[in-house]
Order: sequence, then structure tokens, then C-alpha cells
Amino acid sequence: MQKFFFILFATLLFAGTVNAQKFFTRAGKVTFTSEAPVEKIEAVNQSATAVLDTESNRMEFAILIKAFQFEKALMQEHFNENYMESSTFPKATFKGQIDAAAPANWGKDGTYPVTLSGDMTIHGVTQKLTAPGTITIKGGAIAAQSTFTVAVADYGIEIPSVVAENIAKEVTIAVDVQLAQLNK
Amino acid sequence: MGSRWRPEQLIHLSMKNVFKYGLLLALIGAGIGVYLWNKPFENMDSAKTDVELSASELFTAFADNEAQANEAYLDKVIAVTGKVREVTNSPEGITKVTLDSGDEMFGVICQLDELSDHQRTDFQPGESVTFKGKCTGMLMDVVLVRCVEVE
Repeated sequence: MQKFFFILFATLLFAGTVNAQKFFTRAGKVTFTSEAPVEKIEAVNQSATAVLDTESNRMEFAILIKAFQFEKALMQEHFNENYMESSTFPKATFKGQIDAAAPANWGKDGTYPVTLSGDMTIHGVTQKLTAPGTITIKGGAIAAQSTFTVAVADYGIEIPSVVAENIAKEVTIAVDVQLAQLNK
Repeated sequence: MGSRWRPEQLIHLSMKNVFKYGLLLALIGAGIGVYLWNKPFENMDSAKTDVELSASELFTAFADNEAQANEAYLDKVIAVTGKVREVTNSPEGITKVTLDSGDEMFGVICQLDELSDHQRTDFQPGESVTFKGKCTGMLMDVVLVRCVEVE
């Protein structure tokens, strides 16, 4: 069933293109950092999926919130239960488009600064987001990095005033993915 | 008798008690605070298994009805058995073992726990193995984190 939808989705996404190229990873790294006056909180997720279509310059990312690993068990518990409500909203996704600065030739090695604009969904709330990033092409593999900030309030996440000094209102998200060509 | 229990003495006593018990409560509170703050992550080797099933059963549950599977398996300690399809090591030393789910493209990814000691991490494609880990849900594969091998 899953495969059927994937193929359907892939077919629809790439319908009409002859040299449709898809690059993919299921081991992307996403780091979350909250730097507040009292403490710095960091968590890492090593199981992000990312799909890049070099024909349309579209990129999609998805992560499982519960796969973030924190330094302290208590932080992880609060993150999941109080703020992200990850049992209700297990995923965060981003679907976007690389702007005009996208590499003209995806087969050519090089480093390309780009911006990516699209829809970010966190905690069940979808917002427009534009983020700067870097695409690195080397020997047929594509790497993408991006660091951007999100305001937690934009995604309906409330920080109680008691811990306002401990948790940043804007958190930094760093994305680092190594994409490999998807074989048919 | 009456002269020995003067009211001001009572007040004095109770003030002293308030201080004494207050201090005790504050110490207990601080102790609980420190304990909670430093609360360790659950030890996965000794964690109680909530559910035991095969990789294909787990995958099918998510593929058929994700919401229901989330309800049943999220945050649960799951012992999942399957054939190794692929083993990957990240530059940071994170080992992930993908178990065959019966699906051609997607499987059950078991991310080995960074906080546990592992007997081995050199799993061979094709061998049958059981991992115990925490279920985080499904993206394209079902992802378990903090996995340890179950003998």
C-alpha cells in the first residue's frame, strides 16, 4: 500500500518529464537548538527523510519528532509531552521549491548558495517559510545544508512564563542531508 | 505547670518548627529537583518490552492505518524481529539496521542506541535479528530509536 502510494506520488510528481531525477535520503540530520539566557538545549535527529527532484527543483523533508535525542531525559520528555505534543503530532514536514539560484546543471560539481521557500508544518500548524541553504554537488551525489530559525509561537507552541528564561522564543534548526540518486 | 507553657514560648516553639520543617521541605524539594534534572534515560537493556512482533507485522500495521498504529505503538518499547536488509554507519558513528518488511522499497529502521553498549554492530544482510527499541512512527520506513539487540 505504502509502495503503491509512493509510486503514484512519484509518477504524478514527475509526470511529463523525460529525464526525471530523484535524489533521496532516509538518514538526514536535523539539529534543534534553543539558546535562552539560562540554558542551551540541543537535540539531534538522525532519521530525516529528504527528496529532491532536480527537474522541478522541489525538495521535501520529513522528520519524526520522537526521534530527537536530547542530552537530558527530562528535556526530551518536556519537549515531546508539553511542547510538541508528539503523540498527537508525530511528524514535522517541509515542502518547498528552490528559487532561481538553483544549479542550472545538476550534473556539474560545485557549491551553490540557494534559498528554499515553501510550507513548514510543525505541531499541526503550517506556515510559509523561506530559508537560505547551500547545495554541494560532487561526483553525482548531492548534499544540502540549511540553518534557519522558527518562532515557536508561530506554530501554536506555548512556553509557560515560569520557564521563559530557559527556552528561546526562536529556535534554530540546522538541516544536513546527503542525497543519493534514487534507482528505479 | 501553667507558668511553664507561656504563650510566647509556644509561639517561639512553633516558629522554630516552621523553620525546621520548612528547611526540611526545601531540602526535599531541591533533592527531587536535582534528581529529576539528572534523571537518566531509560536503560534499554533492562527496559520492559511492551510489544513483540515481526518487522513485516509492524510495517503493515503502519502502512494500513497509520493513525491506529501511532496510537498502538508510539513511544512503546517494541521487540521487532526480521531479516537484515541493510546496515549503515554515519560519520558520527551511528549504526542503523534496516529490517526487511516484505515491502520492496521500505522497511523498519532500527537506530542503535548511543547510550548502550552493544555486543556487536556488524550485522550481516540476510541474517535474522531481534531489536528492542522505541517506536517513533513512520515516514516512509517505520523508525525505531534507542535499539539494542535482543539475544
